[in-house]
Parts: sequence; structure tokens; C-alpha cells
Amino acid sequence: MAKQSFTLQVNGGTYQVFAEPNKCLHDAIRDDIGFTGTKEGCGTGDCGACTIWLDGAPVTSCLVLVGEAEGAQITTIEGLATDGVLHPLQQAFVEHHGMQCGYCIPGMLMSAAALLRDNPTANEDEIRHGIAGNLCRCTGYTKIVDAIKSVAQA
Amino acid sequence: MTTTARPNYRFVNKKQPRLEGVAKVTGRTTFTADVKLPRLAHMKLLLAPHAHAIIKKLDTSKAAAYPGVAGVFTADDMPAHVQRDAAARVMTPFAHREVVFFGQPVAGVVAEDPSIAEEALDLIEVEYEPLPAVMDILDALKMDAPPVRSGMGGADNSELAAHSVVTEDEGPKEDKTPPNVTHRLVWARGDVEKGFAEADYIVEKKFHASWVHQGYIETMTATVDCDLDNNYHVWISTQGSFSSRDGLAKLLGVPEGKIVIEFLEMGGGFGGKIQPYAATYAAVAARILHRPVRLQFSRSQDIRAGNPAPQGYFEIKLAAKKDMTITALKAKAVYDSGAFPGSPLMAGGNLLGSYYKTPNQEIEGVEVITNRVNQGALRAPGTPQATFAIESAVDILCHEAGFDPWAFRMKNGVEAGDPMANGRNFGVIGLKQVLTAFKDTTFWKNKDVKPAVDANKKIGVGWAIGGWLGGGAPTSAAVFLNGDGSINVDIGSNDISGTLTSFAMIVAETLNTPMDRISLQQGNTASAPYAGMSAGSKTLRTVGLSVQKAAESVRDQMFKLVAQRLECSPEDLECMDGTVRVKGSPDKSVTFATLGAMSTGYGSPTPVIYGAGTSGSPAMAPGFALQAVKVAVDPDTGLVDILDACCVQDVGFAVNPLAVESQIQGGMVQSLALGYSEEIVWDEKGVLRNPSLLDYRLPTALDMPNIEVKIVEVPVEGAGPFGAKGMGEPPIAPGAAALANAVFNAIGARVDTIPVTAERIMRTLGKL
Amino acid sequence: MHRFDYYTPATVAEAVDLLRSKGAGGKILAGGTDLMPAMKERGRHPKYIVSLKNITELRGISFDPQSGLKVKAGTKMSALQRDPNVMRHYPVIVQGAKLIGSLQTQNLATIGGNICNAAPSADAVPALIALDATGTVHGPSGSRTVPLSQIITGPGQTSLAADEILTEVQVAAPLPRSAANYVRHVPRKELDIAIAGVGVHVQLDEALQRFTHARICLCAVAPVPLRATGAEAALVGQPATAETIEKAAQAAAADARPISDQRGSADFRRLLVHTLTARMLTASVDAIRAGR
Repeated sequence: MAKQSFTLQVNGGTYQVFAEPNKCLHDAIRDDIGFTGTKEGCGTGDCGACTIWLDGAPVTSCLVLVGEAEGAQITTIEGLATDGVLHPLQQAFVEHHGMQCGYCIPGMLMSAAALLRDNPTANEDEIRHGIAGNLCRCTGYTKIVDAIKSVAQA
Repeated sequence: MTTTARPNYRFVNKKQPRLEGVAKVTGRTTFTADVKLPRLAHMKLLLAPHAHAIIKKLDTSKAAAYPGVAGVFTADDMPAHVQRDAAARVMTPFAHREVVFFGQPVAGVVAEDPSIAEEALDLIEVEYEPLPAVMDILDALKMDAPPVRSGMGGADNSELAAHSVVTEDEGPKEDKTPPNVTHRLVWARGDVEKGFAEADYIVEKKFHASWVHQGYIETMTATVDCDLDNNYHVWISTQGSFSSRDGLAKLLGVPEGKIVIEFLEMGGGFGGKIQPYAATYAAVAARILHRPVRLQFSRSQDIRAGNPAPQGYFEIKLAAKKDMTITALKAKAVYDSGAFPGSPLMAGGNLLGSYYKTPNQEIEGVEVITNRVNQGALRAPGTPQATFAIESAVDILCHEAGFDPWAFRMKNGVEAGDPMANGRNFGVIGLKQVLTAFKDTTFWKNKDVKPAVDANKKIGVGWAIGGWLGGGAPTSAAVFLNGDGSINVDIGSNDISGTLTSFAMIVAETLNTPMDRISLQQGNTASAPYAGMSAGSKTLRTVGLSVQKAAESVRDQMFKLVAQRLECSPEDLECMDGTVRVKGSPDKSVTFATLGAMSTGYGSPTPVIYGAGTSGSPAMAPGFALQAVKVAVDPDTGLVDILDACCVQDVGFAVNPLAVESQIQGGMVQSLALGYSEEIVWDEKGVLRNPSLLDYRLPTALDMPNIEVKIVEVPVEGAGPFGAKGMGEPPIAPGAAALANAVFNAIGARVDTIPVTAERIMRTLGKL
Repeated sequence: MHRFDYYTPATVAEAVDLLRSKGAGGKILAGGTDLMPAMKERGRHPKYIVSLKNITELRGISFDPQSGLKVKAGTKMSALQRDPNVMRHYPVIVQGAKLIGSLQTQNLATIGGNICNAAPSADAVPALIALDATGTVHGPSGSRTVPLSQIITGPGQTSLAADEILTEVQVAAPLPRSAANYVRHVPRKELDIAIAGVGVHVQLDEALQRFTHARICLCAVAPVPLRATGAEAALVGQPATAETIEKAAQAAAADARPISDQRGSADFRRLLVHTLTARMLTASVDAIRAGR
């Protein structure tokens, strides 16, 4: 039990995190590095709120120890927009009102963005599969699916 | 959308994306745990492992001595005036000598790091003497049941009263009340026995609705700081910053002004974040440590020690004549309040008997306590449970009598002037219009279409109505003109679903100025204008009225100034896109910017243009909804697929149709899920068995179809801006009943309990 | 979560040596999808963790038409279900892998973790046991390869010693005229855990009339993923008809040893075993006859 230095690549930048190895990746991202967009909903991988990308693959960061993410390219919601320009999905979520409280949205967008990156013309069933690991309690999913559809069909 | 003859609106009643949308999609929205504070310490709670027990010994000394621990707190550390074992948990956060529910917080460790706090929890030494736990809702009614708890302070119904305008008609007091019965009521009119005698068809059945959790994605979280002069600074995920301040002030024994609560976004509440539980624990520590203490409930702790929605048990006897007229309704409703009283017995019991015209009616309601976590509000408290019971009974009646369920509801559904169960009469309501609009939906047109599913699955359609009376509260709001002519709107209510954007739309409409010139601000409870909590389907309609008044005041102040300048009468003036001008003479105008400069410039004699709007609770304006689902049921496993769904709802006036649709869709999915997969399970010893999101089953995107929404507008003058009604809660009322009715339609299994799980379906079919 | 010491060895040998030398109180970390919730919520507080993340020799899938499939234990579920050979020759493994948790879970979880966590409801396991899969275990005194069914010994228990690591899973080359299928009953369509699951692997004779080989493995209805040997015996040598399948399904329900808990009662689980066994057998027979 002692703090160690971990090097994390997040959103294209390199960061040193000095922490106990039991620190979860999402806590390191939020508290040590300062990207607070990633949220915790359950801590056990059952809700998807903490979804980020490890080398482009969506994972629940609450299940990843900080040391496990060393060497991977980590992308969080803050890395989705590029040079101040919103990702088309972010734009679509705003236009289609695909949110209410917004707490699930960072994780939801990371799953949706991975889905459309790998399957740009996903149909509704594929879209719902792609976000099935992200719980939303406010919207009932319809407008979220509408938003993703609008980008997939574009 | 149903339209009535009314003015052409420029801003309201148009689809408006959220003004905060970009912040939300980029992760920049600030939630409670996002706030960094110097010297922040972390609290972890120790929860009791017994449903009912005496605490024989509680020794925190080893935990307190653990390196990195700042302090350990128990009931002994609550302020001296706090009544231990009070009737409201929020007033007595730590268990004192008696544990009354599994998961009740017994102690809290505060440390520099959450891991240290968790490790220190293991060093707290507690000895319990278990006592009999009363878990069964019907056993709890018995005269000889063991007492759920040995002592309790006075009950507090103020929260429920804020939710809905329901009167306190207590039933006759009995000499001997069973030890665990904490509330009863009887509402009766006419002669039910005569009504049954006249009937051609009688349905008699019992129903049960399970305990469910609000399921907000952000768990209860709060940070409380306290300086050496006992000024408290609070960040909390809450539906009511002012109401939380009020509650905390009572707990801490300080004037409300000593507590400042910052307005923050909340990751869902649904009623479960009305009471500031997280802040109560953190405050007990902060007032002693004098540094910021954050308590973020883990998911399992939130399920165990939050405030979920109560189970309900119903006995319904419903009768009608051949011509479909209802002749009598006799109903008993029992609500399980958990270990603390305060269930929505009145709200649910009232709605049980307020959907249909019933000349002869008797509603008996009872509240019991059991050794479970205290119940809390969940979107239309008491109502999904009661609606499931009555709408199942109606569905059974229609099926057995061969009545067309639509015609039956049109004939018997309540209208303006009809009495509710509690004897008060409805004002203008839109139930009939909602029923009529149902036939205009795509769902209705396609209801007999059988989608392609596995050959063995059976398709069924079911639907139900439901409603919610809505609450009211006094509110205030402020609008002022900035030096550059832009507009600031100051709001003191908590934004759950996009009300801030709707307020901006109301100001835009009132001042006839585009949205991009309007900014919303929310400071904290020291600076913001008072508003009641965001619950009870009243935020838009009550705060909106004050926002309208504040904007009108600014408009009137500008008109007065311009009238002087242009030497005309204020009645000659109108607003247009950032100017005040003479109607019909657009060149005679003064810009908002000029007025702003005038009223903020150094040395200027012109007063600041500042409009304050206040209002008391407006007239009650109940909202009704109808929900329909199409399901496919696997008759060999009981698995249910939800294929199609629609909701028709009367919202009075949709200020922002996008936000209204989203609320309705979310509410319907939540209602369907109560009918399909959600329940909290305790075993017979009182141990909560599914405190995780793996086993407490919130619906995923694959479990639900697209929700078709049809908005109906039956405005009620004065109920809200432009006649808007409260609309957040009605959509949770009918979905569970609709799902149960659809399952019956599919395979003939009348499941009398929600959630209608596969296992319950198979049992009802006699296959188990 | 309590604090712990953390090691990231580069080889299996190094990992085994750490486990041996550090002694009791250690846990192996693969994907973390079971260990992390256990540490946070179920009172698991290891003194130290040996992470497998840097051990490249624990990742990889290879297939040979004669010797069959070899999957390194650290292979992620997402990689497993996308491997062309697994998809073509062992679609039942893809079926199981796709059911675990969510996409996010599958991007972390490993086949070795799913096996060694030894949950009765592990979704990747019944298919493997039905395919007579074997596993190679490395320890301080060398390695051994044993049937997977011998690795899982109880709920959360394996036959591995504290200083042993599962390194590879092997499945024989597909039998001719055979098919395998896995299905589970869950209340929701995602993120859920099996109430009951059935994996079958059957082969028909050359005339495609009789069962010549049958393996049925049940999930979540016993302390371990359970071979329904009574059901298997009711199939081998019998004609592949609806009648035979129904008898075998009933036998499978009788073979099951479910408990009642808040996820489902024992009799509901038996009912599910009956229905799902019949469905999986029917689907497998249809697939064989259709030449799939």
C-alpha cells in the first residue's frame, strides 16, 4: 500500500497521476487530471455512466484500475469535440433534445460515437444494441435514438 | 398536436433545444461531485445489517484512531435538540438505540481519502441484539403484530402536502389501533351496498404493487462545509435547494440564512431527492470538523438507505350495469411506509376513486409501517400503484361484461364538476379529450397489426388511463435589463427536465425578443428568488407564472420610460426584437440597449429596470394521460417483449413541446418498467436482497420501443403560463396497468402483482 | 475499495512466482469485471493484486482444422466474438460471449476470468463445457491440462491452487454433422444475469436420423455449470425427433439442481431448463440437417 506514479494518455495529452493503485480510472480522470465529464452511476459496471474509450473501445471506467489503463489511449467525453467543434452526435443530441438531467449523457455519447464510428449506417436495432449498456432514466431513450439515427442516416 | 383557437406564438409552443444542451453533451455541466474544494474530506457510512435490532454497543474509538481519519460520527453527534428516533428520518439521520431497517446508517467515518474511510469502517465495533422484524404488509396490520419500532416522534405530512393539494380528511378514530398502523382514512359517498345490488356485473380482486426505486443515475450526494462561525455552505444533488435549506436548518438548529445552498444540476431525482439525506450526514460531521465533508452514496447504499417508493396492497370491488354505468366502487388501499410514517396514502387513495364517476363509493385507506427503509416520493406518489389496481379492475370488468373498454371509459370517465374520492370537485380537466385523441394515434391505427415475432409468441394490446392532481407552491422570479439591452432571468427553482429553457421562452414571448438575448442565472439560496421544490408537477406552472409577471414588470417599466420619451401612452407601445416601439409606427422606437444604458449608467437618474414576480399557489390543474402498449409474450417462459407504445397526455399548454415529449417518453418508460422488471426484494428476515443495478432492473434501450407521444392541450386559465398544467407526473401513472392489461390480452394471464415478471406470468397460467 | 499492493508482471512465470512468494491474500486481475465489484461491494479485500495486463503471451486465438481452437485465457470477450474462426466454426462461443453484461463489459472481460470466477451463471462456460473444452493451468511445479468441468468446483471456487493461473482454453476441431447452441433466460435484454441457461452440443449419424453425441450444460441452476447427464443419456442412440427431444428436456429439468433466490424460484428455473433445452436441441438438429 503506497502511492505510485502512473502515466496516462488522455484525450491526446500525457498526465502523471500519483495515487494508490486501488484508484479507479474514472476517479483518476476526474479528480487527479480534472476531466470531470465522466460520471459514476453505480461503480460496478451496471449502468454505463462512466463509459470512456480505451484504445477506442468503450469500457466502464469504474471497473478499470488506474494502472490497468497505462499504455492505452484514453478518450473521454472531453475528447469527442475536436478544436472546439462539436462531434455530429453531440450536435444531434442538442437538436433532438436527447437529454434531460444529462448525467448519463457523457457515457451515452461515448457508446454512440463508437457505434457510429464502427457502423456508420447503423439501423435502429443496431443503435439500441449499441447503447444497451447505458442506462437513462429521464428520457426513455426515444429522443436519444432519434438523435443517433439522424447522424447515422446523414 | 391538437390545436385550439389562440394567438400565434413566436417562441413558446415551439420546439426549443435546451439552452444548456452544449454543456451537457460536452461534460461541462457541474454536478455535486464535480465541485473541487480545498481540504475536502470524504464520508463513508456504516449501515446496519439487521432489519430490527437494539444497538447494545457502539465503539468507534479504533476507527477514530486510524491514520487519515478526521472523525467518526454517530447519533451522539447529532445536535442536542434533535429528537432521537423522530418520525421523520431526515430529522434523525443516524440510528440511535434502535435500528428499524436493514441498511439504516449507524455511523459515519470522515477521512482524507475514501479508501481510508472504508478501511476504517471495518474497525467500528458494533453489537446488535436482533429483534423480530415485521416485513409482511398484511401481518403489519394485525393487532398482535410485534411493533416495528418502540418509539417515535410526531408525523410530518408537509412534503406530501407540497406535492399535491389533497385535504386531510381523517377517518373515524378507533379506540384500538394496531401498533403498526400510522394513518387511516375513509372517504364515502352514496350507498355502496345498494350500488352492488343494482349491478349486473361485479369484479372483486386483490392487487399488489412492489417497492420500487427512483432509479436516478446520480446517487444521493452532498458536500457540506461549516466555518467557525457556523455558516454552512452546501452543494447537494437536490430537487429543492430552498426546501433542503429549510430541512437542514431544522436539523442543525440554525436560522435558514446561516445555510447557503448552491444551485447545481442534479442527475435525476424523481422524488427521491426532495429530502436532503446526503447533506444531513455530511452536516453532522461538518459542523464539528469545520471543513467540507462530501458524502456520495454508493449505488448499493442508495438502494438500501435512500427513500424508495412504497408497496401497496389493494382490494377492489367494482360494479356496473349492463349499460356500462358504474354503480359502485369499494376499495381498500394499504400502503407500507417502511419504518417511518408519511406514505402517499392520501394521494394514492384519492386517485384510486377519482378516475370515474361513481355515485356510490367507499375508499378505505390504511398506512402501516414495517421494518424497511423509509419510503419517499416517486413521481406521482402512490399513484402508479393505485392506478394499476383500478385500471386492472376496469379491464377485468370490461372483459367479463363484453364492454368496449374505450366506450366504458368515455361513459364513466370524470369531467369538470365531478367529485374526487375526497369529496372535492374537479375543475376543468382533459380526460375525455385524451380518450378521444387516442383514436388519432398511429398506435391505435396499427393496434391490430401483428408484427413479425417468433411463431410461438402471443401478441396483445393493453391500455389504461391515469392522472395526477399536481401540487402548488408560492414562487418568485426576477427579470432585469442589462446595460447592453440583453435580459437576465434569475430563478430559484431546480431544473430537472429543462424548465430553465422554458422560462427563457416565456420571457422571450413576453418581451418579444429572441432567445439569444436572454440569459438565465441561478446563484444560491442567498441570492436567488425563493421557489418551492421541483416536484409535484409544478415547477413550470408555478415558477413560470412568476417569470411571466417579472417579465411583464420589466416590459411595463420600459414602456413607462419610453412613453415619457416618445410622448405617447404606454398602451400605444409594443416590444419587437430588442426595441420598444409605437404600434403601427415602427420608426418611433427606443432600443432595449438604450434603456439598459440609461438605467445602469454612472450618475443616471433612471432606476434599474428590474422586475420581480411573485405568486401564490395557483388553482389546481390535474393532468390525465392514457398509455397503450403492444407486447409479445412467450407462453413457455413468460418473457415479455414490448413492441409498441404510445402516450396521450393533456398538458394544458406545451411551452416547449420538445421538453414535454421527452418528459412524457421518460415517464412512460419508467411506468412500463414498474410494470415489467423493477422491484426491491427483502427476504423474510428483512435483508434487502438486490441492492445493485444488476438485480434491480432498470430498463435498457433494448427493453423499450420508441414511445409515440400525442400532446393534448386543454388549457386552464391561471393554472400556469398560457394555461399550462403540471405534466411531469401523469405519465408514470398508467403504464404499469397498460402492460398488465396487454399481457392478459396476449395470453389470458391476469397477473395481480407488479412487476409482471415472467415467473409471475407462468404461475398465474398455472404452469408452476 | 480498500488499498492493496499491485504488481504487473510481464510473463506467466513471473506472475506465478509472485503468487507463490507473496503467499495468501492475493488475487489475479484480468478484465476486472467480477473482481472490481467484489472488492467494492462484496467484502473482497485482497492484500495484493497480480495484474495480467502486461502478459502478451496470455492473448491470442489460433485455429487449426485438425487440432481445433486454442484461446489464450486473457483474450477479451469482444475479441473472441469477432474472431473469424470462432465465428465460423464455433458460433456457440460467440453466442455466449455476446451475452455477457454489455458491450462495455465485453471489452474488458476475459475468457479466463469468466471461467475462473466460477459463477454458476457464467455465460461463456456452458458452451465450452458442452464442447468438452479443456484448460491449461500453470503453477510453480509446471502445467497441466484438464477438462474445464474439472476447473470449476463450486460457486466462486476452482481447482486452481492460489499460485496457479489458467493460461489457455482448448476446444477440439468441430465434429462433422454437429451443431452447438446456447441460450439463457434473462428478464431484460441487456446488462442482465442468467436466471437459467442451456448450452447443447449434438451430433447426428450419417443418415442425420439419430443422435450419436450429446452434451448438455446447464447454467445458473446448480452450484456449478452442470452437465445434464440424464438428458444426454436420453439422446444418444435415439432418433432425433420432437418426442426424443421432449424426453431429454424433461430429463434436463430433473438433472438441474436450482435454488430459489430473488432472481427466480427453483421451479421456475426447472421450467426454463425444460423449455430452453428443447429449443436448443431443436435448433441444433435443424442446423445440422440444413447443413449449417
